[in-house]
Amino acid sequence: MRALLAHPRTQLALRLLLGAVFVYASLPKIANPAGFAKAVYQWQVGGPVASNVVAVTLPWIELIAGLLLIVGAWKRAAALVTAFLLVVFLAGAASVMARGIDVENCGCVSVEANAAPSAWPPIWMRGVGWFLVTRNLLLLAAALSIVRSRARLPLLDANERPAGPLPEATSSGGA
Amino acid sequence: MLLFLDMAADWKRSVLILVAGASLGLVWNAGSGRGFALGQSVLVQTGDELIPPRDGKRLLDAGALFLDARPSDFWRMSRIPGALSLPEEDFERSFREAEPRLRRASAIVVYCSGYGCEASHLVARKLRERGIAAAILDEGLPAWQDAGLPLDSEPRS
Repeated sequence: MRALLAHPRTQLALRLLLGAVFVYASLPKIANPAGFAKAVYQWQVGGPVASNVVAVTLPWIELIAGLLLIVGAWKRAAALVTAFLLVVFLAGAASVMARGIDVENCGCVSVEANAAPSAWPPIWMRGVGWFLVTRNLLLLAAALSIVRSRARLPLLDANERPAGPLPEATSSGGA
Repeated sequence: MLLFLDMAADWKRSVLILVAGASLGLVWNAGSGRGFALGQSVLVQTGDELIPPRDGKRLLDAGALFLDARPSDFWRMSRIPGALSLPEEDFERSFREAEPRLRRASAIVVYCSGYGCEASHLVARKLRERGIAAAILDEGLPAWQDAGLPLDSEPRS
């Protein structure tokens, strides 16, 4: 399993997947900051002013980290940022679930409030619950795998290519 | 553990990504035309009158009518003493039933379940459209409770 995770092609796939998820998630929030602020309010953490700051800054951090993962520049740093964000999201979800707050739309990938039940994503994917927790845990595992890996592919990874011949895939080790 | 200690450059770059993203977000908010004022809730619109819990309590003592804009199941569990249920999701029917009392009220305060709840704002605006002035309890029922103000928790049918 470790060898599979450390394989350059697996790493490339994880990086592109994680980057695409974060870029995709950021765009509706950047287009509609006030709508995203309303979604953040539903988490009821920190009050409206702190939520406003989160609503304005978080999507751009997601966008930059996602783009860096896709192009393969500063990939471990970008993966660290996504891992940090995912840990914060998981802590927020745990807090919301523990307090029994019904969050209709977590604001994770869509900021539309009061969307029709038939709208995409469906209700069970929009709210704060076990689907969100599971998805974020999987994304966190992908982010940590990228942080740990030294695997490199020539494609999309030129800025971090070592001077010597390309190494074979290695199992996890120091970065 | 050693892995993370060996990543000084990556940690610095991570901080740079966070700072760059936050800065871009603030610039976008200030200059894109899509932004909003960071110092207050985006739920607040022109014409909305917000009152803090202590002022709300003074109005309650003076005979103001309080309206609970949450779904009626929540009102049945607990409410500000004397509050009527006027759920935003069932506004038209509830308004028809309560209209005579609303028009007689000396003052009206609408509340819901906190700063993330838009229902009190929507109900106050709908009342305003019908010529009835209503203030909004700032940050709703949680702020009322945090201020140590009374709550009627007698279950209602």
